[in-house]
Amino acid sequence: MSGAAIFALARRTFADARGRTVGFVLLFALVAYAQPAAYRSDYPTLRDRLGFVHAFAGNASLRLFYGRPLDLLSVGGYSAWRVGGILAIFSAVWGMLSATRALRAEEDSGRAEILAAAPLSRARMFLASVCGCLSGAFVLWAALVVGLLAGRLPAGGSAYLALATVAPGLVFLGLGALACQLASSRRVALELTGAVLLVSLLVRVVADTSSSLGWLRWLTPLGWSEELRAFAGARPGVIALPVALAAASLVGAGALWLGRDVGRGLLSTRDVARARLQWLSSPTALAFREERWSLSGWLVGSGFFALVVGLISTSVANAGISSSLRRQLRRLGATSITHPAGYIGLSFLFFVLAISVFACSQVAAARHEEAEGRLEVVLALTVSRRRWLGGRLALAAAAVVALSVTVGVLAWAGAASQHAGVSLATMLEAGLNCAPAAILFLSIAALAYALVPRASTAVAFAVVTVSFVWQLLSSIVGAPAWLRELSPFEHVGLVPAQPLKGGAAAVMLGVAALACAVAVWAFSRRDLVGI
Amino acid sequence: MPPASSPSRSPAAGHGGTAARTAIATFGLCKRYGSTRALEDLSVSVPRGQVYGYLGPNGAGKTTTIRLLLGLHRPTAGRAELFGIDAWGEPVAAHARAAYVSGEPALWPSLTAAETLEFLARVRGGSDLAYRELLVERFQLEADRRVRALSKGNRQKIQLVAAFATRAELLILDEPTAGLDPLMEVAFRETVLEAKEREQTVFLSSHILSEVEALCDRVGILRSGRLVDEGTLAELRHLSARTLEVSFRGAPPRLDGVPGVSVVEQRGRRLRLEVNGELAPLIEVLARHPVEALTSREPSLEEIFLHHYREPGEGTRREATAHGEATGPAAGR
Repeated sequence: MSGAAIFALARRTFADARGRTVGFVLLFALVAYAQPAAYRSDYPTLRDRLGFVHAFAGNASLRLFYGRPLDLLSVGGYSAWRVGGILAIFSAVWGMLSATRALRAEEDSGRAEILAAAPLSRARMFLASVCGCLSGAFVLWAALVVGLLAGRLPAGGSAYLALATVAPGLVFLGLGALACQLASSRRVALELTGAVLLVSLLVRVVADTSSSLGWLRWLTPLGWSEELRAFAGARPGVIALPVALAAASLVGAGALWLGRDVGRGLLSTRDVARARLQWLSSPTALAFREERWSLSGWLVGSGFFALVVGLISTSVANAGISSSLRRQLRRLGATSITHPAGYIGLSFLFFVLAISVFACSQVAAARHEEAEGRLEVVLALTVSRRRWLGGRLALAAAAVVALSVTVGVLAWAGAASQHAGVSLATMLEAGLNCAPAAILFLSIAALAYALVPRASTAVAFAVVTVSFVWQLLSSIVGAPAWLRELSPFEHVGLVPAQPLKGGAAAVMLGVAALACAVAVWAFSRRDLVGI
Repeated sequence: MPPASSPSRSPAAGHGGTAARTAIATFGLCKRYGSTRALEDLSVSVPRGQVYGYLGPNGAGKTTTIRLLLGLHRPTAGRAELFGIDAWGEPVAAHARAAYVSGEPALWPSLTAAETLEFLARVRGGSDLAYRELLVERFQLEADRRVRALSKGNRQKIQLVAAFATRAELLILDEPTAGLDPLMEVAFRETVLEAKEREQTVFLSSHILSEVEALCDRVGILRSGRLVDEGTLAELRHLSARTLEVSFRGAPPRLDGVPGVSVVEQRGRRLRLEVNGELAPLIEVLARHPVEALTSREPSLEEIFLHHYREPGEGTRREATAHGEATGPAAGR
């Protein structure tokens, strides 16, 4: 009987996440197929591949997203680098989203309380949710295998590479489950796990880009994926590390779950507090008050990352690049990555992505306000919809600019300390260069919010992710220019290596202003929508 | 600047004579969500200074009506006006004269009760802070407790205190006492009566009949998105069946043929009857039989209410009363 209950609950968990699962499956299968296929057609002969290795193997900036290449002469080795490196990060993101949705969101909504009151032990309840998440991980693994097989890689190696790529997802599933026990809301759980992921990525970047700190790779789950060495002298024993950490954190989370109050977190803040009356004068002020810790986290996290990028910018290996390969480099958008400015320029693409994700999270917070029914209370006061949404978007745009300036200044501080030869003015320009694209994504998210409120959060994050992945993929698969240029990332000049694309930035800001205006207009004409 | 500080004194400038006397008016108001008809052709008007009870079971369309009155949802057809101001077209102007308590006490979990009151007061403006203090006392609000640590009833109390403290001309309350304990229910009634003394208008959606019976001047009854009955309590009673209990010394007579009379229950020599319309035909028949005891009472609101929900199709018979002209009781059943 309880077996049936566990099955029903696990299936519910899996079904609740179906939208996200489909998105990740498509992404994983597409990337897994495209990378080996493109490599095989672009570098058919050993000579081509040697040339490629000569240019890329030592290039630190590419390692930021993809990790350390081990074997670039075989299709499998190249795929392990390009597929495994970046999808390991996405798989970690999937793991934390999945765990916090299945465990914490259920408690936030009060549904967990209903289940915990049913004749079903809490251990089985936890087990069922975790099984639902694990079946999602299995589907992702299968999607990768299918993609790699379609890219004509051998079955055994494909299965192994897929496992190495999904492994961080399992770890962050466990860590997310642990955070769900500590935090008192899904949002805080996500922020805790996100901070761990950021540190993991940072450690991997340092380990992969500096010559002497390679051992750091053993300290990060993302590094373990690399150390599994798919298609390059596989070391299957390493799988014990992610599996052990995932299992330990899941068991730990389960134990904490059994011993705590349903609906509360172990880190719950005090329930009684003296009134603090700042930032209560308008809905926008309250939004700032509610978002201030999240914003501080983003400022500290991205600022720290920027500092590291600046610090390691001078240690980039100075590979001599033959003129015949400059064309290949240009296709990746990096014209001059052999000096610090070039490295910083390409790295800042990451900040454009991060700040865009932040912008979307602000619209998601606005949507949450509506779904929870609080917006109804606000709009029944003397607040117009234009004022509410306009204020919210202005706040998000201001935060985007603050983040942009912060990463610029801190990357400069790191670079200047290593005498990298970039000026503060240039780095401020590089920072502010992140803003137009992020504000464009903000406006797209706002539009989605006004037109399809229930789907808006998913749509907003999907647009950013797809644009970014497309920017990375389209140059490799040789898509025509007009298709490549669909991605806003394509129009971001890699300051300081390239000049700021002022015209493109102006167009992005213009489109953003228009989209925001349309969003406010459309929002003023629709019904408020609950959960 | 506080728009609500002079309740019901300022006539709605430029909105004609009726607007000056009417707090809420809807004209053929309809709302559909996809293929669901949530509200059909609602035309109702609430004069200033009245407490209007809006009754209906779950899902009848009470909250939909309120969302339309506040311009939170857009009417599919028709329109809603507060003090002559279009609720959808000029929500801010309309809200300046109204305060709202939502049925779901959705507030900011991280704010304390005091911070929430402060936010709501500052954003809307025009709150009577001295009266608010009194209400905080009356409702025994734990002001320094965070919203997430409060029960549903305690959250509801925050909304009530905030809304009544505005002294807005119109209070729109959506099932405000759901979750309140009996003591707080008493405090609520006291506060509504105070608002009434101040000539504030109250639109009270509820399915707690005793509350409506105790507080409301007029009552509208909603079923499946349609207003099926409307009037003062006296009118509703007059138009509904009376209940008579008659004991006979011998076997009770057959009363089925008497116009307007139906036998609800027979227990030995006692009959319980429902009588629609005139009592005279029944009295004539009873006079020929040995009646031992006879009691007659007006229907309770509960009986009126249940009457409308037990008999499908029956409810539409007095739709015209929404416009103030009763068509009289239905003849027979």
